[in-house]
Amino acid sequence: MKQKTIKWKRLDNASKIFPATSNNKDTKVFRLACELYNDVNPKILQRALDMTLENFPLFTSVLRRGVFWYYFEMGNLKPTVTIESNPVCAPIYIKNMRNLLFRVSYYKKRINLEVFHALTDGAGCIWFMESLIYYYMTLKYKDYLPKEIDKINYKASISQKMDDSFERNFNKDLAYRKTFKPSYKKAYQIKGARNQENRMRLIEGTMSVKTILNLTRKFDTTLTVFLTSLFIYSIYKDMPSNKTNQPIVLSVPINLRQFYDSYTSRNFFSTMDVSYDFSKNGNELENIIESVKETFQNELTKEKLDLHLYRFMSLERNPIARIIPLPLKDITLKIADYFNDRKMTTSISNIGQIKMPPEFSDYINKFTICVSARRPKITLCSYKDNLVISFTSPFENTDIQRIFFQYLTTNGVDVEITSNF
Amino acid sequence: MLYCDYCKVHISGKGEKCPLCGNIIPKDNEMTDKDITDTFPTIPLSYEKHLIMKIMIFVSIAAVTISFAIETMFPTRINWPILVLLGLISMWLCLIIIIQKTYHISKKIIWMVVIVSILSLFWDWNTGWKGWSINYVIPIACMSAMILMYITAKILKLSVNDYITYALIDAIFGIIPLSFIIFGWVNVIYPSVISVASSIITLAAIFIFQGDNIKAELHKRMHI
Repeated sequence: MKQKTIKWKRLDNASKIFPATSNNKDTKVFRLACELYNDVNPKILQRALDMTLENFPLFTSVLRRGVFWYYFEMGNLKPTVTIESNPVCAPIYIKNMRNLLFRVSYYKKRINLEVFHALTDGAGCIWFMESLIYYYMTLKYKDYLPKEIDKINYKASISQKMDDSFERNFNKDLAYRKTFKPSYKKAYQIKGARNQENRMRLIEGTMSVKTILNLTRKFDTTLTVFLTSLFIYSIYKDMPSNKTNQPIVLSVPINLRQFYDSYTSRNFFSTMDVSYDFSKNGNELENIIESVKETFQNELTKEKLDLHLYRFMSLERNPIARIIPLPLKDITLKIADYFNDRKMTTSISNIGQIKMPPEFSDYINKFTICVSARRPKITLCSYKDNLVISFTSPFENTDIQRIFFQYLTTNGVDVEITSNF
Repeated sequence: MLYCDYCKVHISGKGEKCPLCGNIIPKDNEMTDKDITDTFPTIPLSYEKHLIMKIMIFVSIAAVTISFAIETMFPTRINWPILVLLGLISMWLCLIIIIQKTYHISKKIIWMVVIVSILSLFWDWNTGWKGWSINYVIPIACMSAMILMYITAKILKLSVNDYITYALIDAIFGIIPLSFIIFGWVNVIYPSVISVASSIITLAAIFIFQGDNIKAELHKRMHI
């Protein structure tokens, strides 16, 4: 009997941290959901999912442990669409269990795609979702949609999608090495009573893109800068006064596909730290916006991103790091993650605008994205005129969320709140 | 749609309280139940799954404490509470291997062989080295693991890739008793001889029939 050879892939640079640091408290799972105007038909969704999977071979992988590294093993497991029956961002990767690293579920009008972060990032996940929705729409509404509806836009070849873009775009120029200065200043840490069973408290605020852009124009800035500043402001308002000497540091993920030539459906992102120290600067929103704007301008340059890429890749390339057995690597990564986490207050991630063929706009209401969180986190995305800002938090307390949305509503932005609690 | 006057936000879903400020939202009289639909399912809290585990941990701790307490009050010649403690530790080691979230049966078998071998050596040595561990336990453990692995692989229809590496590891283990014979540590040689012989045959089978597979598997698992 001839055995078919098993296909496997190394994890890309950003993925390597997730299996080691995921646990029941922070599952490293994120959820992209699409809300339709009609109830979801699970049978059609299942067919759409099967078709989508043909275009994304990496999504058939299970995560396995080697002697030195984790790796993806592509198999023939088939995903099943189920009715939503798990808490938001429930664990997906469980050590030694062989299951797919994503799940698709539905609830009434909503389709949920939950993904373990080692598999892909927000941009890759959107891409998968776009394909899924495309097949769902064309299967379900084929009699109503115009015949000449755009053929699905594959955007890239299978091999481009499987590409490890960290590996390919990493600049080996040693000149960067000298500029690396680690810093260990502790950032303000939000604390609170946890939700039962470590569940995520999700609060989504839906608003009009136009109205909020009008508001950001008053401050002469972009949406991401404005929301990052407003988040810092809300955290500050909730901060105990004896902690105000600690800086608030937000980690902001950057999609590297726009800076490098990449069409990967795997992870390809970096992060930048946006720091604001209230003991040294003014505590008005305008002050924060000025500072955040400057950080964005300084950090979002090709040189800075090259440097980040170099730092991460050189860690991975380190010969000593490579031959440490996996269990030890896991412990090392956990410790490193602990110290890195102390330098961070929380994070805000703008996934951006999701585009679908205009023919679908009568059927799709909005897209939402949220992520597992150690402390209140913001993720946002927009579709048509609907901007959805999602807060996920492991804590019962919702003051930061309240201050954040109250600021928007008192400044003329209509907000619709949805919560899973 | 519901509206919270304090936060000035609309609220969708069937919640009675504002998710932001926690205040109770007055219901609009005009609203019917139809207008209010839940956006998220209510997921019940999972019940306590580990009660048996808790009872066992409790009983173990109690047993050790009681035996030490009795020993302190009524001393005896042999230090039996230590044996109780070591016995419980041995039991727990085996139990951890079995119930551990390893959904991988072949791996579990390998761990079982390792732990049983170490424990038997330890107990044999601790109870005045009669040699039963290397005479019988280790060779028999290696052999039965080989048979067990083959049977489970057939029953569970595991693909060759899933268990071949573990079969290889076990076959290599099974050769270790050869050193027992060479150095004359064993007085009963039959189990050791059978173990070594079957290991060599298994190894030959693996390399001859699954050579490519084992190469691919090792390459995959050992990549640096």
